[in-house]
Amino acid sequence: MRFTIYQESRQGRRRSNEDRIAYCYSRDALLMVVADGMGGHLHGEVAAQICVQLLCDRFQHEATPRLNDPFLFLSRGLTSAHCAIVDYGEEHGLTDAPRTTCVACVVQDNIAYWAHAGDSRLYVLREGRIHAQTRDHSRVQRMIDRGEIDEDDAAVHPARNRIFSCLGGPITPHIDYSRKTPLKNGDVLCLCTDGMWGPLGNDSILQALVHGNVLETVRPLLDQAERLGGPNCDNLSTVAVTWLDSYESQPPAPQSISTLTLPLDRTQTVMEEFGSARSNRRSEEFSEEDIERTINEINNAIQKFSR
Amino acid sequence: MPPQVNCPLPPNYELDQYRIEHQLSLGGFSIVYLATDKDGTKVAIKEYLPNTLALRKEGQVQPIISEEHLPAFRYGMKCFFEEGRSLAGLNHPNVIRVLNFFRANETVYMVMQYEHGRTLQDYIVKRKGDVRESFIRYVFTRLLNGLREVHAHKLLHLDLKPSNIYVRNNGSPVLLDFGAARTTLLSDTPMLKPMYTPGFASPEHYKNRDLLGPWSDIYSVGASMYACLAGGPPQSADLRLEHDRVTPAVARWQGRFSDELLQTIDWCMHLSHLKRPQSVFQLQRKLVDWQKPAEEVPQDGWLARMRTRISNIVKK
Repeated sequence: MRFTIYQESRQGRRRSNEDRIAYCYSRDALLMVVADGMGGHLHGEVAAQICVQLLCDRFQHEATPRLNDPFLFLSRGLTSAHCAIVDYGEEHGLTDAPRTTCVACVVQDNIAYWAHAGDSRLYVLREGRIHAQTRDHSRVQRMIDRGEIDEDDAAVHPARNRIFSCLGGPITPHIDYSRKTPLKNGDVLCLCTDGMWGPLGNDSILQALVHGNVLETVRPLLDQAERLGGPNCDNLSTVAVTWLDSYESQPPAPQSISTLTLPLDRTQTVMEEFGSARSNRRSEEFSEEDIERTINEINNAIQKFSR
Repeated sequence: MPPQVNCPLPPNYELDQYRIEHQLSLGGFSIVYLATDKDGTKVAIKEYLPNTLALRKEGQVQPIISEEHLPAFRYGMKCFFEEGRSLAGLNHPNVIRVLNFFRANETVYMVMQYEHGRTLQDYIVKRKGDVRESFIRYVFTRLLNGLREVHAHKLLHLDLKPSNIYVRNNGSPVLLDFGAARTTLLSDTPMLKPMYTPGFASPEHYKNRDLLGPWSDIYSVGASMYACLAGGPPQSADLRLEHDRVTPAVARWQGRFSDELLQTIDWCMHLSHLKRPQSVFQLQRKLVDWQKPAEEVPQDGWLARMRTRISNIVKK
């Protein structure tokens, strides 16, 4: 396998980052996961972390170096993650159940397999077009399917954030699986949360990523999404890969990852440690909320100490 | 001095519940105004307005902050808040009181008690170095009371100098400008390296910031006392490390001031942080002891503290 890959998660203007992302690969298989946590306080963060971590752990155990059945792997992985999140909520007596969306993709033998629950998306970009994409488990997507509204209405619809499937929570998740999708050299796969696709829309994502190297194209795209997201910008995260495998021999692209020399029993995982995502990048940023909160704290301190 | 980049708010401008009288001073990061509150009480208001990031032209009220400068502007605001936070928790007659904190005109304002007097810097310049020992003793013993309070809150001032020491008309000092103060527990981001006034910052300020401690503020106290005698700042610590040209106070002013004072100044200004007084209390004890040098110093901390307190009351 040969590919270049880039992942980044940003806090936007929210007080915490409840998105979690990771990728791992063995010699013959690649896994990418994006999860967007929901729930009171920091529980969404926990749900997303459980999901990403569980899938990566399983991948590390099962991809030695091949997964027997990628679809079975995804199905078991997502179901186990759902149960683990529910268990966590019950153990800690959480009334506001932690939940998370999830989109996970495996590539093996130049074939992509993916599964998702919720409104985090996967795009396959090929030859200037969106070759395939996930269908959100959201109310507005249903309305679009029924022809009640179009894409433009959906972008501003008040219920656009309402989803009917996710991991965790009282309802058994509805998980959609892709077809087996053979990849061509130069295909781009992009997994992302709604914080990224929401402000950008399909066209911007397509235009930005379809040509060029994800190592260079993703970061400016996130910048753009953050700008468009405005003062209330949601967490935004993505894992994007440019697939560089081909039967024809080609000079290797710089900075691409080749798994040819990876030992059979070894996997490589790239995932941020729990809690590090929050202090990660945007620590220098200081939102309106932070300003208000700090002023209140200072004035409270002044009150307390004045005679 | 470079020309003032940012225009101050106009006189009589109604800012929140205050009315601006005139500009008191200007720094690279802020403008300080004299203002009156609803009851006509005078206050000093510090406006966060870094002149490299925000621009206010003649006749404008809202500064212009370009999109690209916004993150840096916000980051600086965070540091401005640190100053407010440091001061809000302190209530001491020798430390400037913060009265209020509010947002307006896209920026933030800190309201402080207004004091009648002048900075020690002005005093030194006016007297051209002709400062009496009794004055130095009086001012610094009280100033150290304030600094002790600061250190007791796990804070370091880090920018102590004569222009940050305000002397009220009755002679009692107030510690100003906590712009550089940081909780010692928080490690500083290298992005924010405050500008220090050469001559008053300790060697640790320049070389090894991990070593910053009460002894660093004490160096600044020593350098400020030295400046009182010399009429200007001593050589800066980074240059002293290369080639020390500071004549020890003991040698320079022998006979004109008591040996104890001169020795204390040299002790504070030692280049090695370990060889300076390690706490304000240790230094203060030394300062108070001048008056009765012959007497035995009680070793008990509590007794010594009581003594300091009593001698302070007696002086008042």
